Amino acid sequence: MKNNDQRSSLIWCAIGLAIVLYSGKYGLGTLSSPGPGFVPFLTGLVIGGLSLVVFLQQWRKGKGEKLKDLWTKKDWPTILKVMGALVLYAIFLKSLGFLLTTFFLIVYLFRVIESMAWRKVLIGAILTAFGSYIVFEVWLEAQLPTGIFGF
Amino acid sequence: MEFFGNMFLGFQVALQPMNLFFCFLGVLIGTLVGVLPGLGPVAAMSLLLPSTFHVSPVSAIIMLAGIYYGAMYGGSTTSILVNIPGEAASVVTCLDGYQMARKGRAGPALGIAAFGSFIAGTLSIIGLMFLAPPLAEMALQFGPPEYFSLMLLGLIILTFLAGGSMSKALMMAAFGLFLGLIGMDIMTATPRFTFNLYFLTDGVGLVPVVMGLFGISEVLLNVEARIKQDVFETKIKGLLPNWKDWKDSAWPIVRGSVIGFFLGILPGGGAVISSFVAYAIEKRISKYPEKFGTGVIEGVAAPESANNSATGGAFIPLLTLGIPANAVMAMLLGALIIYGMQPGPMLIKQHPDLFWGTVTSMYIGNIMLLVLNLPLIGIWVKILKIPYPVLFPLILLFCLIGVYSLNNNVGEIGLMLFFGGVGYLMKKFNYESPPLVLALVLGPMMENALRQSLIMSNGSGDIFFLRPISLVIMLCTLTLLILPLVPWVKKKREVIGEMGEDD
Repeated sequence: MKNNDQRSSLIWCAIGLAIVLYSGKYGLGTLSSPGPGFVPFLTGLVIGGLSLVVFLQQWRKGKGEKLKDLWTKKDWPTILKVMGALVLYAIFLKSLGFLLTTFFLIVYLFRVIESMAWRKVLIGAILTAFGSYIVFEVWLEAQLPTGIFGF
Repeated sequence: MEFFGNMFLGFQVALQPMNLFFCFLGVLIGTLVGVLPGLGPVAAMSLLLPSTFHVSPVSAIIMLAGIYYGAMYGGSTTSILVNIPGEAASVVTCLDGYQMARKGRAGPALGIAAFGSFIAGTLSIIGLMFLAPPLAEMALQFGPPEYFSLMLLGLIILTFLAGGSMSKALMMAAFGLFLGLIGMDIMTATPRFTFNLYFLTDGVGLVPVVMGLFGISEVLLNVEARIKQDVFETKIKGLLPNWKDWKDSAWPIVRGSVIGFFLGILPGGGAVISSFVAYAIEKRISKYPEKFGTGVIEGVAAPESANNSATGGAFIPLLTLGIPANAVMAMLLGALIIYGMQPGPMLIKQHPDLFWGTVTSMYIGNIMLLVLNLPLIGIWVKILKIPYPVLFPLILLFCLIGVYSLNNNVGEIGLMLFFGGVGYLMKKFNYESPPLVLALVLGPMMENALRQSLIMSNGSGDIFFLRPISLVIMLCTLTLLILPLVPWVKKKREVIGEMGEDD
């Protein structure tokens, strides 16, 4: 494996192949009356074909960006922490309600990611949770989830 | 006379207090998201889309359009003062705008950006008014083969102009098409590729994908790099460009307007690409190309005019053919359908108040923007000073709320987060996201057109080459696919691609 374009093209090749195989399941139909799987099948072929083109182009070119070049000196664990928090937000939004989940999310982002002082964190989180509630729920009537505590 | 009648109707609609208010709200929000890095017009429009369900469709479209062209004004401010593009169409403005600011000429740079935007915006609205109605008449002759060829051309243009590897961009377009096909098949009512997830039956929503690719992933990249905003600490004085500035910028503004307008019309064109092309052309025909990048005013005037002019042009395919030219227009298409209107050749005839009201509101909006961006520039500079650690949790929260409130569905938050991760990896591995978004919108339309064409022709692909309009479009498409293999063109594309990676 010489560079990142080759790595990513192999992933796309697999995706293209999977689409091609799955499309058959939905029925390709005939050219004069194409079935539900017909156009997805074509897109899968294009993705797979192009990924091979990229792979071979890079084979000739050889050198290129390496995997580790992408994350050197970058703060990538932070990315996982932020993404994790957002996933938890989605999971607890319905049961805890908008105000509580939002409060916790902002506390987490301010404190864990940005390590602000606790006073600032709490004031910021309360202001954000209530402020966004007023704008989106009261003013824009967005029907945010209320949760088991009823708020 | 009909034209003046229509104009009169338009102003009657646009000048209603309610519509004036929404126009103002639109350009205000547009400028705000333009100024804020990491939040662009597409994300802002998807955020506000659900909240427009309470107002009349005309007011809603006026506001959404205002966000789009407003963001073009706001983006330049951040580019010039902070050297971070406020939104994608202002990437090239950084090159010379920031250098001008460092030389103490932030005022004229901001001034020419605003005036250039105003002139270009106005010119492109005039173009839109004159071109759209006759084009809509012509579009009535289009059948499924023509629609299919045209949409294909749009995708190919976008991948051709995208810079970087064309194979990778085409791959993203194909993947976008595939994502567009997920959900219920219209002809047979078979659910496809839904993985038993109920919310996918209606298809992969545009809003979660766009918010993920453009909102979440952008924040992740900024958090990772720990961007520092160094707002250029200088008194901004003398916003009015001097006589020499005007002389230097006059033609770049005109050229930028024309380039922007026509690239805007092309499906797949749009503000980002036209700003790159306008800059490249100015540099090419300049007597002193070596000075570009050191703070020449042409380097600000041309791309800023082009990106504003493109906004007017981009409305044409949407309002005449029902085909969105870019991701922003795709949002508007979605909005129009939600309001029960069918975008296409009949739209101008069936809803003249919508068409002429929106177009004339754009005149008014441009005047509002000139006021917002010149005398009130200080406000935006203050907003630029909000530190990113405070800003990014808010942007994330807005994305979460925006996606949830669209259908009150947590599944779509999951979808957005998924595409946030995908978008982050795509940026890391140099894959373009605009082709994916456009293809996602065009997917169902293209599939329909292709299947109908094949049914019409009894299974023969000749149908795309036997009908004259379709033949011409197909030939353009093939040319664009072959061109990148020509060494000279290949080199040119790489140059533009590298410019895009500087941000």
